[in-house]
Amino acid sequence: MIELRDVTKRYGVSTFGVRNLNFEVRDQEFLVIYGPSGAGKSTTLKLIAGIIKPTAGDILRDGQSLLNVAPESRDMAMAFENYALYSHLSVYENLAFPLRAKRVSRQEIDDRVQRTARILQISDLLNRRPGFLSGGQRQRVALGRAIIRPANLYLLDEPIGHLDAKLRHRMRGELKAMSADMRATIVLVTTASREALALGDRIAILREGHLQQIGTPNEVYYQPANEFVASFVGEPPMSFLDIEPTRENGQLYLKIRESQARLRVPSELAQHLNGETRGYRLGVRASEITVTGQQDVEHPVSGQVYIIEHMGYCNIISARVGTGLVRVVTDPAVTPERNETIWLSLDAEHMHLFYQQKAICHPSRFLDEGRANAAATYAR
Amino acid sequence: MAAITLENVYKTYANRVEAVRGISFEVKNGEFVALLGPSGCGKSSTMRMIAGLEEITGGTIYFDGKPVNALRPRDRKVAMAFETYALYPTLTVYENVAFPLRSAGWSKAQVDDKVQEFSRLLELTRLLDRMPGELSGGQAQRIGLARALVREPSVFLLDEPISHLDTRQRHRLRQIIKRLHLEKGYTMVYVTHDQEEAMAMADRIVVMHEGVIRQIGTPTEIYRDPADDFVAGFVGEPPMNFLDGSPAQQDGVWMFRSEDREFPFPHWLQPHGASLPPELKMGVRPYDVSVSLDSNAPRDASGQVFVCENMCDYSIVAVDMADVRFQAVTPSSFSANRHQPVFLKFDPDFMRFFDRATGKAIQIP
Repeated sequence: MIELRDVTKRYGVSTFGVRNLNFEVRDQEFLVIYGPSGAGKSTTLKLIAGIIKPTAGDILRDGQSLLNVAPESRDMAMAFENYALYSHLSVYENLAFPLRAKRVSRQEIDDRVQRTARILQISDLLNRRPGFLSGGQRQRVALGRAIIRPANLYLLDEPIGHLDAKLRHRMRGELKAMSADMRATIVLVTTASREALALGDRIAILREGHLQQIGTPNEVYYQPANEFVASFVGEPPMSFLDIEPTRENGQLYLKIRESQARLRVPSELAQHLNGETRGYRLGVRASEITVTGQQDVEHPVSGQVYIIEHMGYCNIISARVGTGLVRVVTDPAVTPERNETIWLSLDAEHMHLFYQQKAICHPSRFLDEGRANAAATYAR
Repeated sequence: MAAITLENVYKTYANRVEAVRGISFEVKNGEFVALLGPSGCGKSSTMRMIAGLEEITGGTIYFDGKPVNALRPRDRKVAMAFETYALYPTLTVYENVAFPLRSAGWSKAQVDDKVQEFSRLLELTRLLDRMPGELSGGQAQRIGLARALVREPSVFLLDEPISHLDTRQRHRLRQIIKRLHLEKGYTMVYVTHDQEEAMAMADRIVVMHEGVIRQIGTPTEIYRDPADDFVAGFVGEPPMNFLDGSPAQQDGVWMFRSEDREFPFPHWLQPHGASLPPELKMGVRPYDVSVSLDSNAPRDASGQVFVCENMCDYSIVAVDMADVRFQAVTPSSFSANRHQPVFLKFDPDFMRFFDRATGKAIQIP
């Protein structure tokens, strides 16, 4: 197990790479580090690898500090984004290099090179030099060189980010299968939401050097810690509506700002409201609500169609509700006109609620499988 | 605004690279057309010829019926937006947007009107006093768009303007660009390698590959009725599944035979079984494949689970058959172990067939 304790990396006086990071990488875990550019993802990876040293804090393996262990003695295999391949060696020799250094037998080397090349679909490139490869091909060679030997920990920095969509899909599956078969411990950095969800046993979400949340894909998706995580995990991103708690005749409502709509607050939710009227937002996932053309009991809130995106397997409708925009995923056959009024299945009980960006409650029903299923059927 | 017509346009570079090889299409007045294709397909060269940044080797480009081959870029009244922007770092956002108008000698009031209008459309109003160094990538991109647009061009060309942004910003910019098009009615040409962007925004998509056009159509047409196996495989995520096979008649029913698999052609193809080419490729999208663990379930094919990816509100299951790997989108409740046997059924309405000799889709008149 790798453990980061209060790890801070500062560049110069005031530029922070990461700040007070605390998390662990469990044995045989596939941990994804996910965040926008500049979040400190690659810095974190380099800190674990030992390529850079923390300004403060400690990094431990099984309770022992790694700070005085040289990178080459840490038994970690790395693939970084700027794939530094040996330009004078063939792809075959680049792949074989980490094994030759370990004095593996010639037959064993050949077996592993062929197998790795097959998985990464670069078998026909083995005799070429890196200079004659495309960016995506070089990236796969770099990944191959990292995964070809057994290692205590694999550190992969956007290892498939430069591949075209089709190949990226394919390689994503290969990485996932490989991690399961090898029972390897992997830390992978990505900026793609789908990659993070598809690959991670857990996902650590970073922003501006700070850890926002770490958890399983289901945890960060269904119970995001704050608006940033909520809007950054899942596609299309979560929509937010400004709301104001108001009381009428003793009943508590959430009034959607600049809209006629108000949502009745069930008593178990009322305890989460602190009497303030500002700072509340409702989070809505595009696949968790439905729309109709006519108002009915389940669709009490109106919105005006802003745009429709035709994705083939679904439509993404963006509707103006009050001052906000709500995205809804529908069947491709649902095609309302621009500016048409549609009705949305918004109700306080089933929404994510945030106060000053922090999550204060999540609907429990999104955690039960039945609901997740219902949400998934939109696609069919 | 203007309509754009390309007539048999070629682009050959000095090094004899034929980037564009005789393409023709039309962008109607006020239409949003995406040029979509992998890198090296000629889409950027095409756009640069429309802009006048690149000489046209052969053929003619018309704006509103008038040839523009000889016109300089600035005389074409074209605005362009690229992946990267050079904002003036010492000027505020307001001054960056106002810059093209001030240099064209507009009055203070006129400049302010225009800056305010585009700030509203691109949701920049709260950023007007900031300096470029304080902006996120998505914000800087919106300012670049505003600056390109304030002079009210007749044609708006965008080259991968949002491809480097993160998921959240990309979705936001998609909405804004589409809305801008709808409200201002610009004729827009949008170059991208990202099929999702093209699908989400364009009225019509021109799919290019190796310098030629493979298909022109609405997003739905391109997705549902791809003209050939290239378009079929390039558009859609996860990508379409393909299976090689041949037609064979059995008890009066036309069957698709592929290795040890066999299933009937969909109803719409049955009457045409005799005229099908001998070597076929079946294509079906992962959304149109259902997976079952039940060996008694009706099936078109069977295999073993390679890997399951749980995407939270759905799952993607990869299934290995002897010769090919298929992907299926399932409810997230579906789960199976690696190597577990599963049975696949394809939605007959959405199976597509291609002639392996030409790659062309089988179309019934």
